[in-house]
Amino acid sequence: MNAIRMLLATSLLWVSVVWADPPPGYPFVSFDAGLKAARASGKPIFLYFGRYGCAWCDHTNKKTFSDASLKKLYSDNYELVYVDAESGRRLTLPSGERITEAELGVRLQAFATPLFVYLTPQGEKIVQIPGFKTVQDFRDYDRYVRGGYYKQKTLLEFLGGKS
Amino acid sequence: MLLVLAWPAHAAWTWSEPLTVNSAAGPAIFPHLESANRQNVAVSGDAVAVVWEDNRDGSPQCYLATKPETADTFQPETRLSQSECFEPVVVALGAGRFAAAWEEAGKVRAQVLPGGTPINLSGVESAQATLAFGAGSLYAAWAEQAGRFRRIVVARLEADSSAPGIRFAQPVEARQPSDGQSWPALAVTGDGGVTVAWEDRREHHTVPMVSHSRDDGDFAAPAQLTDLKHGGGTGAALGLGAGTGAMRPTLSAWGGQGVAAAWLDKRDFLSGYDVYAALDAGTRRFGRNIQVQDSFGDNMAQWHAKIVGDASGRLLALWDDARDGTPDVWLSVWNGTAFGDDVAVPAGSGPGAQTDPSATLDGAGRLHLVWLDRGDPQSATRIRYVRGGWR
Repeated sequence: MNAIRMLLATSLLWVSVVWADPPPGYPFVSFDAGLKAARASGKPIFLYFGRYGCAWCDHTNKKTFSDASLKKLYSDNYELVYVDAESGRRLTLPSGERITEAELGVRLQAFATPLFVYLTPQGEKIVQIPGFKTVQDFRDYDRYVRGGYYKQKTLLEFLGGKS
Repeated sequence: MLLVLAWPAHAAWTWSEPLTVNSAAGPAIFPHLESANRQNVAVSGDAVAVVWEDNRDGSPQCYLATKPETADTFQPETRLSQSECFEPVVVALGAGRFAAAWEEAGKVRAQVLPGGTPINLSGVESAQATLAFGAGSLYAAWAEQAGRFRRIVVARLEADSSAPGIRFAQPVEARQPSDGQSWPALAVTGDGGVTVAWEDRREHHTVPMVSHSRDDGDFAAPAQLTDLKHGGGTGAALGLGAGTGAMRPTLSAWGGQGVAAAWLDKRDFLSGYDVYAALDAGTRRFGRNIQVQDSFGDNMAQWHAKIVGDASGRLLALWDDARDGTPDVWLSVWNGTAFGDDVAVPAGSGPGAQTDPSATLDGAGRLHLVWLDRGDPQSATRIRYVRGGWR
């Protein structure tokens, strides 16, 4: 717990707002709109499963998603979807089932936010990654997903044992 | 007081044979037992009623199935809605009568059953209706658009005739909401008082709030159900995020004057949502928060929490979690000082997914429980029902 406190304390430099939503300036859309756009564009989906008020989401937004090159990389190459872990907003899964955004957390067996989920353009899950991640982490995940390595390797295998 | 309002320790559950409620099932039919206050089953006289939503007709519609309590099958379901319908609830009015409410075409509606005529409860965009009946009065609550956000509205309904007239409807707070309010839960106590709880985001994180009204008058200033200060969590103290999350409050009248609450709480951010409860023995103030699930469920996310009580003091909480590898339905009984060891519902556990419990206690103290049962992701989802006795 002390390590967590120290890590959180180091982020005070980036404090501006005190709640968490999608990072500003990114073209995040709803699940249904993102799935529709992905089917049309053929781009993979980057799903940000966040929670209103979530400290680690706030930390990730300020520390990682504030990077301009990462913003361009993900905005250009992914359909960006934001899902609110506690929302009753409705979405439709690729199976045709209608559920709420909160229920998506049940289906993903989410135990923490933020949770980042990469999906194919058809909405099939490639990999999901919980917790705070750095700019370099997201660059690695991008290579894993858009390079198609997920078809042969797990993410851990791809990263050579690095988490 | 709390010691008196409890089930005896060292007792055991006995269960009826499980029944399937829904007659239309298939891999592309998705029934849902989701509603404000998780009220999808009720017992009135000797009749059991179950409501849910599914897409068998090509769009989400709400359905009702009933059976005499002693029957071993449910009668074929009837459709409650004409347009897209979501999150139906049902409560018992006594003598075999029920009231149901749901969202249809973007507005909340209610109907007395059997044979009643549905009415709109709100003239504006509204959702997440719930109902409570007690001390001879029927109340409804829902989330209604008010400017940029939704706010909670409570109404007293006239349920003597076949069409439930609205005797009064008023927002819990007169001022416009400053952020979202949703998922209300209601309880009517033995003295006719009304307690309403809901999810509230005014503090920029999701917090269950609660308010009371004793005599159809104004509601008291809302108070937090959660006992965390300053948003809770390490992050908020350091200026990161506004606080921990807590969602989907449920309420039940309990004992002569009491109210019990349970909800999903993320205060331990490393293990998913936990089930927490709080009790109001009649003072109209909820006490400290109580963790419901036992230590075997501590490192596991809990979902779909529901509190169920009755006038004699019985009280239990239900939820689902996957501590045994797949999602199962669990319950825990209040023993007067704490919630007891978690009990897996036999028919609601084992291979496959058993989720989304909803339950009620009948006049004899028997538990009537429904849940979703899906063998694997490709198989049809069934709504299952059992009756449980505690002795």
